[in-house]
Amino acid sequence: MVEGNAIVKLTIGELSFSDSRPIEIASGGLMAGRRWRAEKILWETLKRWKRSSIELERIEFLKTVPFFNDLSQWQLKSVGEIIFERTYEVNESVFEEGQPGAALFLIQSGQVSVEVHRDGVTTQLALLGAGAFFGEMALLDESPRSACARAVERTKTLALYRNDLNRLILSDPETACQIYRALARIVGDRLRTTNDLVQRREQEAPPPTGIAA
Amino acid sequence: MNARRDVVKEEVERQGRRKIFQYSFAVVFVLASGFLFWQLRILLLPILVGSLLAYLFRPIKDQFKIAWLPHELQVLASFAVIALLLFATVATVRSHIPNERQKLELKVRLKYKLNEKLQEIVKPKEGRPNVILSMVAKEASPLVDRINRWLDLSQEEVELFMKYRVGLEGEPKIEERYFEFFQVNQSTDLKAAMEREALQREAEAKAQAGGLDSQATRAAAKAEAAASDQKMDHMEVWILAPILFFFLGFDNGQIRRYIIGLVPNRYFELSLTVMDQLDDAIGKYLRGTLIESALVGLTLILGMILLGIPMSVAVAIGVISGLINAIPFLGTFIGMMIALGYALIAENIVPLIPGLNPSDLALYVVLLVALAHVLDNIIFQPFVLGSAVNLHPLVVVLAIISGSLLMGLWGMLFAIPTVVVLKTATETLFRELRDYRII
Repeated sequence: MVEGNAIVKLTIGELSFSDSRPIEIASGGLMAGRRWRAEKILWETLKRWKRSSIELERIEFLKTVPFFNDLSQWQLKSVGEIIFERTYEVNESVFEEGQPGAALFLIQSGQVSVEVHRDGVTTQLALLGAGAFFGEMALLDESPRSACARAVERTKTLALYRNDLNRLILSDPETACQIYRALARIVGDRLRTTNDLVQRREQEAPPPTGIAA
Repeated sequence: MNARRDVVKEEVERQGRRKIFQYSFAVVFVLASGFLFWQLRILLLPILVGSLLAYLFRPIKDQFKIAWLPHELQVLASFAVIALLLFATVATVRSHIPNERQKLELKVRLKYKLNEKLQEIVKPKEGRPNVILSMVAKEASPLVDRINRWLDLSQEEVELFMKYRVGLEGEPKIEERYFEFFQVNQSTDLKAAMEREALQREAEAKAQAGGLDSQATRAAAKAEAAASDQKMDHMEVWILAPILFFFLGFDNGQIRRYIIGLVPNRYFELSLTVMDQLDDAIGKYLRGTLIESALVGLTLILGMILLGIPMSVAVAIGVISGLINAIPFLGTFIGMMIALGYALIAENIVPLIPGLNPSDLALYVVLLVALAHVLDNIIFQPFVLGSAVNLHPLVVVLAIISGSLLMGLWGMLFAIPTVVVLKTATETLFRELRDYRII
C-alpha cells in the first residue's frame, strides 16, 4: 500500500507533516467470499460478447483501487458506467484550493502533485502515482478543496461525481453502500492517525502555557 | 540547448496552428448550424416535444432501475407502462371527439342554446326590464356576434346537415328536435346577416374614399396565409417526436457523459454541478406542473360528476382542461369555455348534490372552474411547485403573449417553461461560475 502514505499527507493538508506509517485499508471482509465461480464464468462470456477493451481496462483498474476493493465484477460494471475519464496535460490543474469539491479522482496513470500555496510559497504535500486517489471528501459534501491538485506529467484519471454516487443509492444500494463504507473506513483511519500524531506531539513538546512576550 | 529551444518553438507553433484550426472550425460550425437551424425550424417543435416527453417520463424509467435487470429491459418495461397510460388517456379523450355528424349537431345545439339563454337573460322579467343585464348584453353583443358567426354552418355544412337528417353512411339520423334548432338558427342567421350587410355597406362607402390599396393588402395577406398553410402541412415531421422519445428513453446517461467529455478540464466539475442543479430545478418544475395539471383536472372531473355531468364527458373535459391549465391565466379561461360550452347544451342533468337547479348548470360550472382555480393557486401550486421558480406575474403575461405571437398555441404552452429554463440556467451558471472562481 504505497499510496496510503500519500493519502495521509494530502488530507491532513495544512498541517503538512509527514507520517510515514502507511494506512492499512481493510479489504476483504464481508464481501470477499461472494465472488462465485459461476459469476466469473458468466463474466468471461460477457467480456467477449459485449464490453469494449477500454471499458474492461477501466474495470480491471477499478479493482485495484482501495475504494472498490470489495466490489464484485457486476458492481464494478455499474460503477464504471458512472465514472468519467479525464486526461490532464503536464502542469494542468485538476482542481484549485477553495473551489467547491464535486468529484473524487483516481489516478489511472501519471502523477499528480497535491500542494498548497501560502504567501507565494508552494508546499508540496504529496506526490501521487497510479492507483492513488484524491479529493475523496468531495463525495461527502460541497466543502471547499483544502489543497490544489496539479498533474506533474500527462495523467489519466477517473472521476466519480458525488451526485452520481448519491443516485447509485437508489438504483444499486448495495454497491453504493460498500463505496460509502470504504470511504468511512478511509476517513476513520485517517482520524486515528491524526489522533496518534497529536498525542505524540503533545508528549514530545507539551504546549506552552502562558503567552510568550 | 539548441534542440530544446527547437522543441519549444515547435510546440508554440503547434499551439498557434491549433488555435487557428479550432477557431475556424468553430466559425464554420456556428454558421452552418445557424443556417440549418433556420431552414429546418419546422423540426424544432417535434424535437422539443419528443425530448420534453422523454425528460418528463424519466422518473418512470427510474422506477425500473433494478441492479440485476439489463438496462434495455428496464426501458422496455417503463415504455410498456407509459404506453398503457397513454393508450387509456387517448382512448378516453378520443371517444369524445365528435365525428362529422356529431360536430354539426353540436354546432347547431350550441348556437341554439346560446341564443336561447341570451334571450332569457335579456328578456324583461315580470314586466320589469333588467337594466344591468340588458346593458351587459348590449356590451357583449359583438362577442356574441363573433361566436355566432363562428358557429355558422357554411353552405356545404347545411347540405351535409340535410343529408344527415335523413341518414347518411349508416350514421343515425339527426333528431327532429335538433332540426328545429337548426331552423331557428337559420332564421336568426338571416336576421344577423341582414344587419351585417347593412353595416358593411356603410363601411364600404366610407372605405371607398380611403383608396384602393386595400385590395393589394388583401392579396398580400392571402399569399402569406397560403405560405403559412404550406408550413403547417409538414405533418410528417411529427414522426420525429416518438422516435426521439424512444431513443432518448434508451439513453443511460451516455448523452450526458458525451457532453461532459467535450468540456475542458477546467470546467469539468463546474459543468457536472451546473447540469445537475439545472436538471433538478427544471425537472422538478416541469414534473410539478404536470402533477398540478393532473390535480386540477381531477378536481374538475370530481366537481362535474357531482354536478351530474356524465362521467365520460366529465373525464374528457377534465383531461383537456387540466392540460391547458399549464398555460397560466389563459388556460383556466379556455378550460372554462370548454366546460361552459358543454353546460349550455347539456340536457337531462340530475345533479348529485341536492338542492341544485339543473337549469343553472352553466353558473355552477363557472363556479366550479373558479373553485378549481382557487384551489390550484392556494393549495396545489405551493404544494407541488414550492417557491422553486418565482416569476413575476408581469413576466408571465409578457412571456405568454410573446409565445403566442411567435408560435401560436404551442408558443403559449411552452412560453413559461422556456422562461423558467432560461432563468434557472443563467442563475445557476453565474452562481457556480462565481463559486468556482472562474468569474
